[in-house]
Order: sequence, then C-alpha cells, then structure tokens
Amino acid sequence: MHPALRLSQLTHAWPGQAPLIDIPQLTLQQGQHLFIQGPSGCGKSTLLSLLAGVQQVQNGTCEVLGHDLAKLSPSQRDRLRGEHMGVIFQQFNLLPFLDAQANALLPTRLFPSRYQAAAARWGSASAQAQNLATTLGLSASVWHQAVHQLSVGQQQRVAAVRALMGQPRLIIADEPTSALDDARQLEFIDLLLNTAAEQGASVVMVSHNARLAERFHQVHVWPGEQRA
Amino acid sequence: MRFWLSLAISSAWSRRHALALVTLSVAVSVLILLSVQQLREDARRSFSNALSGVDLIVGPRGSATELMLYSVFQIGRPSRNMGHAGFEEIQAMPQVRWAVPIQLGDTYQGHPVLGTTPALFAHFQTQGQSLQWSQGRAFSDPQTQANAMFEVVLGAEVAQRFGHAVGDALVITHGAGGGPESTDHDEQPLKVVGILKPTGAPIDRSVLLNLEGFESMHQGWGLGISPKALKAANLGMASALAPHEPRQPDIQSLKPASLSAVWVGLHNRAEVFSVRRQIEALGRDPLMAVMPGVALDELWQVVKVVENSLVLVGALVAISAMMSVAAVLLVAMAGRRKELAILRAMGAAPHALLGFVLVESLLVCMLGILAGYLSSQVLLWSAQDLMRIHYGVMVQPGLPTLESLWRMLSLCGVAVLASLLPAWRAYRLSLMDGLHPPSI
Repeated sequence: MHPALRLSQLTHAWPGQAPLIDIPQLTLQQGQHLFIQGPSGCGKSTLLSLLAGVQQVQNGTCEVLGHDLAKLSPSQRDRLRGEHMGVIFQQFNLLPFLDAQANALLPTRLFPSRYQAAAARWGSASAQAQNLATTLGLSASVWHQAVHQLSVGQQQRVAAVRALMGQPRLIIADEPTSALDDARQLEFIDLLLNTAAEQGASVVMVSHNARLAERFHQVHVWPGEQRA
Repeated sequence: MRFWLSLAISSAWSRRHALALVTLSVAVSVLILLSVQQLREDARRSFSNALSGVDLIVGPRGSATELMLYSVFQIGRPSRNMGHAGFEEIQAMPQVRWAVPIQLGDTYQGHPVLGTTPALFAHFQTQGQSLQWSQGRAFSDPQTQANAMFEVVLGAEVAQRFGHAVGDALVITHGAGGGPESTDHDEQPLKVVGILKPTGAPIDRSVLLNLEGFESMHQGWGLGISPKALKAANLGMASALAPHEPRQPDIQSLKPASLSAVWVGLHNRAEVFSVRRQIEALGRDPLMAVMPGVALDELWQVVKVVENSLVLVGALVAISAMMSVAAVLLVAMAGRRKELAILRAMGAAPHALLGFVLVESLLVCMLGILAGYLSSQVLLWSAQDLMRIHYGVMVQPGLPTLESLWRMLSLCGVAVLASLLPAWRAYRLSLMDGLHPPSI
C-alpha cells in the first residue's frame, strides 16, 4: 500500500521571499496520524494547501496517497481531494443554506465512489452519517437544523462527520479545535482520531497547541526536526 | 445533475430577497425595453393608419405629400382645387363603392373646417375604427332635408376646448382668419348637432360641415372679402365680383364648382391600381390619386428623425438595462464566493460549479424577462385608450417582435456573462483562499 504522504526536498516560497516551507524528508504510513505543530503564520496552512492539492507544488516531491501532486492538473487534484480526502476547516465552512445532515452528506453526493464506500459498509450514506454523528456525540435533534443555529462545537462535529463520510483515506484538519477550550479539544481529537483509525484513514492536523501532540503517531515541529 | 439543481435551488432560496431584487431589476429593464420598442412600432403604424378604410385620395395633380398633409392632417392649404365634375365621374365609376368630397379653407378659431357629406361618417376610419358619437348625431343631407344645411359636427378636441355642446351656435372664419375682422361668416351662424368621440386622429381638431352649407356661405365672396365688406368699401368692381347677397339657397345650385380632395373607397381593394390609372386619365382636369397607406409611409420618412430618436432611446435603454442587470448580478455573485470556495475545496469539478452558477443566473433572467414582458403587456393594455385619445398612438399588446426577442436574448446573454465573470474569479480566488474560504 502507498504511504499516505511522502514528501522529499519540498520547498515553497512566496515570490521574492525566503522559503516558507522546507521539508527535506517526511513519510506517513497509511493509517498513522501526523501532528504538525508551529506558531501562527509559519506556513502550516500553506503546507496543508499543498497536501490537499489546492496549491501547486513549486519544488520537490509531494506524493499524496501514491499520487505525485506536481504531475496532476488542478482539476485532477480537485478530484483526488474530493474522492479520497476529508478536509476539516478552521472555520468549518459548512454551506449555510443546507441543514446539518445535507452538509454531512455532501461528499457522498459529489462523488459516487464515496457514496458506494459508505453504502458498502453501512447500507446507505445517511446510515453512515447517522452512525458517525452518534459516535461524535451529535444529538439527533440538531440533525435537521440549519447550520447557523448550531453551536460552535456542534458545527465542528458536523464538519468532522462530513470529512469522514465515504471512507476517505486521508483527513486533513486545520486547527479544528481553536474555538474550543482545552478539555473539549482533547475529547474531540480523541473521537476524531479513533473514528479515523477505525476506518483506516490517516489524519494530518496542524495546530499551535503542543498539548495535542501526544495523541498522534508522528509529530512535525515547525521549524525544526521531525520526531517520532 | 439533480443534486446540483437542488443545491442551486436551496442556495438561491437562501438569498431570495437579494435575488428578488435582481429579478425585479431585470423585469424593469425588460419592461422599459419592450415598451420603448413597442411604442416606436405602434407610433409608426398609427401614423400609417391615421386614415384607414380609404383606398384612394384624389386631388389636383401636384405633390402627393401636400395632398396628404392637407386632406388628412389639415396642415397647409391646397394650392389648387379639383373640379366637382371630377368627383361626379369618380362616384359614377363601377369599381367605386363610395366617394366622400372634402372642401377646405375656412377655420373656426384656428381649427380647420371640413366641408363634406354625411357619407364621411359612415366611411371614415382611423386605426381601423369607425367614428363614434359622444353627443348628438351626424348632420343630415341638405339634398333631402333643406334645414340641415347649416348643421355642424365637432371633433372631440374642438368641442372640449370651447366647451361646446349640441345646440350651440358658432360662426366660422373665412380662410385662416387673422386678416380684417370682417372675414367672419357672421351672416350665417351654424348649429352644432353632434360631437364625435376622441379618436386621436386629426379629425378631433376639425369642424365638419355640409358641403352645401360650406358653399352657400361663400356665395357672393370675391377675393377673400365678404360681400358686406365689398359693398361697404363701395369698390367699382364690387358689383362684378359679388353680384349676389347671401340668399335663401337653391339646393341644386349649391354644388360647389371645386373641391380640395376626394376620399374614395373601392368594392375590391385589388383594383386600386387600375382605378388609380383610370382616375388619373380622366380628361377634364389633371387629377392625382394617392394610396394613403403608401403616401403616409412616404410621409413618415420625412418625420424619420422622430423615429430615429426613438431608436436611439431604445438602444440607450437596452444598454443601460444590460448594465444594470450586469451590475446587480455582479453584486449578487459576491455573496456566493464563500459557497463556491467551499464546494471547490470539497473537490467539485469546474464545469459543475459553472453549471451551478449559470442555473441561477438563467433562472433569474427568465423570471425577470417573463415578469417584464407580462407587465409591459398589462401596462400597454391599460394605457391603450389614454394613448389613443391623447397621443393618437394605437398600441397593440401582443407577442414581442423579432427585434424585441433579440434584445431580450442579448439581455440574457449579458446576464450570463456578468455572472460568469465573478464565478470564474471566485473559482480562481478559491485557490488563493486555499483552505480558508472567506468568512463572508
């Protein structure tokens, strides 16, 4: 099986500036979780954009789920992200005009392969969504509410359900806990990592909060050395 | 596909207030666009139909435009007259269903006086509609009813302006007036027997009088001076020029020697060219027969500048309509940047996002165009009478013309382009936004 990530000599810089990202070597096996720690503005989010295929790789190799991103066109990268990755945004980015359930089901609606993956194991996409919601502690009452009526914690869980729908192999999370207090942050991370592990997915998460690092298999501290 | 459609509808519904405004702005633009267009065409058609149901206008040979101007619009004055015998010959032609003589020259307070026969009321049509009475009746034929000689019928505008009602007496002026005051036909007051309903045609501004009455008032006049004045001046020529006092007229002798024009209706319109040739070949004095529709079209070319300015207004309206629709859509699209960025981040393909944006713009555009079209029809329909009476323009609500369709289509095209631009920009920007779509 391909590693979830394989980076080598990856550098990235804004025009005319010193490299923001400089990673000589980094490999993440499928099913393992990676924590990227660093202060705000150090380029963590840019790295996630590269991994998710939103931004074009400038220098070096960036292999995600066995695909060399530098060799894919933007729309191929969009497709790779849509079919095989789940992204949890800092702001959650739920579509305001859909209810919680419809938001959670989006990936399975956009990509038949994700629907089939969900249906193969759970019978239907909504069954998986229901199951994930229960696991992540979303009460049934919020399931059909408009997302702007949900609390921050509930929105975050809806976003997590959406990312996990249809068995993606890689979950990318950008400071998903910044809006929560410490105790709830750890609780959420545990739920997310366990659910992902149960599906065989890898999680790559960035945060400035070093206390979350202990839950991950692998940690990349910014800037500096990788430690296991 | 179904998914994208339902997504587009949910998205649109969440912005329904803003979209209602966009739709309204499209509708108003279409309304103005169509109304200007329609008015332009209706103005032209109304002009061409100012005199309908008349197949030929006959007058002394000369300028067709001049004949039209004085006989239909009562503008200007005939420079020559045709003989009454010509009228009788025309009337006797087998193809001719009816012929109405027109005698011009006198005025009532600046309004033209039309000497004619009661047949006019039966045959005159404007915009395809016959004359209707708001008060009274037509004047009778003095040939059968001698006391009908000095009966007059007033056009709606004349009656309204001077507050005349049936039974009023009035005095008309010889010629255009403005000369010595003694040019009034005050020896012979006329009695109002009928008032016409407004038509929007020049007849609204006219006073209609029996040809015989018209003629009898001019007996004894010479050089445009009344017999009284001639006598008072005691000119040497007076007795030669004005041998008679106005007298109790002998009906048969009151056939005028000359006429300004004759309106002719045929049994069969297809014969109009052969009849025209025959009339123009009548030996007595050189006549000219003009088809009013054709002549009016020619005349319209003269006032083409009016139409051109309407074309210009129409084009400006179209441009401003397109710009306002584009502007409103551009603003509306700004509100969609976040959802496009989210969908892009979820891996949606560019063509799917494109369709997602286009469905909404097209839907809004269609709705706006439909609403604009329907309201323009309602507006035209409800303003129909007003337009006809006050402006003489007969508006005809109906299906849009090809040109209007093109304009609406290009409006739609502009709207689509206007929504594509921000959609493309949103798609590009979502790259820069990275995984951080703007939190609008």
